[in-house]
Amino acid sequence: MRKFRKIVGYFLLTVGILLAAFTVINWKHIQAFPSIISAYYAKEFCSCYFITGQSEEFCHDYTRQYVPISDFSLDKEKKSVTVSGLGRTTTASFHSAMTGCAYD
Amino acid sequence: MKYSWIIVLLILMNFLFCSENPATVPVELPSAIPADYKPPARSYWPTNGWQAVANDIPKNSFDELDKYLFSRTGDEKDRKGIRTDGFIFIHNGKIVYEKYARGFSQETPHLAWSVTKSFVNAFYGVAQKEGIINKNDFAAQYYKPLAVEEKKAIRLSDLLEMSSGLFWDEGYESSPLKSSVIAMLYTSGREDMAGFAAAMPVEHKPGERFYYSSGTSNILMKILQVKLGEQYAKWPWEKIFNPLGMKNVTLEKDKSGNYVGSSYLYATPRDMAKFGFLYLNDGIWENRRILPEGWVRYSTTLAKSYYLTPTNKYLVKENTGAHWWLNQGIPERDQPKPWPAAPRDTFCATGHWGQYICIIPSYDAVIVRVGDDRDGSFSLNRVFKLAGDILGGIN
Repeated sequence: MRKFRKIVGYFLLTVGILLAAFTVINWKHIQAFPSIISAYYAKEFCSCYFITGQSEEFCHDYTRQYVPISDFSLDKEKKSVTVSGLGRTTTASFHSAMTGCAYD
Repeated sequence: MKYSWIIVLLILMNFLFCSENPATVPVELPSAIPADYKPPARSYWPTNGWQAVANDIPKNSFDELDKYLFSRTGDEKDRKGIRTDGFIFIHNGKIVYEKYARGFSQETPHLAWSVTKSFVNAFYGVAQKEGIINKNDFAAQYYKPLAVEEKKAIRLSDLLEMSSGLFWDEGYESSPLKSSVIAMLYTSGREDMAGFAAAMPVEHKPGERFYYSSGTSNILMKILQVKLGEQYAKWPWEKIFNPLGMKNVTLEKDKSGNYVGSSYLYATPRDMAKFGFLYLNDGIWENRRILPEGWVRYSTTLAKSYYLTPTNKYLVKENTGAHWWLNQGIPERDQPKPWPAAPRDTFCATGHWGQYICIIPSYDAVIVRVGDDRDGSFSLNRVFKLAGDILGGIN
């Protein structure tokens, strides 16, 4: 039994070390990753709605990702879209017919 | 001395591998259009709108094509199957077939995604014609981040042919964590996309390896921004969109004020067809040269780096010209054309989720298809097959 525990212990330690190593090696990517969800949704929704003139429902269907968003607001006056997801919030605004939408 | 036989073996193996994978480059690289190409004389130019062909094609000729493009099953929520938003087929300078769906119409601009890259090619054609740049120039001459020892040998043509040697990972949904393109568009690279791409480490010597890189398109646009200064903002309209009569174009910028040449052009399929028609006419519009002589031929010539790159599954599908995609294959290596049903001279601008502007000189045709295919079930080759059947029926 003790031997078994020892094996499990080593196994968990190895997994832990590998995970830590993976995190360190990929830190640049991991730390940037969470903002993808809100950034993608805000920018692509803004362009879908204000440039291609599709309906809100259409643009939600267009922009939906595997990871759901936690908050969404469309400001038709200011022509901006604010989205939260994975703990990050991003706003994109429509500037002109020539240059479309960009991040605030 | 003991190990000398190993060295001999290694040398022999080296020869073996060399003979198995001969990185031979043909003396004359194949191009979609011949050196003496003369586009057909035009009875009108579609600057102020396309004419439709008179009723000399039986309506039911398009039934099969229509059925393939527009019969989708399922609802908008599932995002499955072939989801065509717009399709336009130009033959002999006139519309022979056109249709829209899913809330899109003649007037609706559609996101072009990477079709935008072929517009970058056009901007460079104009810039070369006006003496602003020459494609053989070193990028370092114009753009500081590339003026470092290991990157200074990169030429503008290497960037146009996606052969700069700068590291790039072009995965979208398949590798979201490490994808360079997702980081460039949405996270760490989004404020200055060209800067992000130019900061990538060097993987190969310039001109020796082709791999798809959205980063290169934004570096190319940044170089124009640096070179043109204040003129840059209106330049794409003055030089390409307005002369062609593309009235409803949006081209989005990043925070550094650079147009996102990799991804963010919006235009109607009718306007995209005008862009295709410019290339079908060898860069001539309204009987005047917009792109310099030889530019379309250069852009539709299979890049030298393509022959030097070891075969992989992406390579077979991506016959690279200069920000245009060709249908050459490599017959001498038994490598088929990317679209077997299309003539060899076909070339396309292609974008994520099913955007295409395709030019088929031997049919005197332009095909534009926009859509939103998420599951890869759409086959452009099938469209070429059906289009060929229709034209075969007419001629």
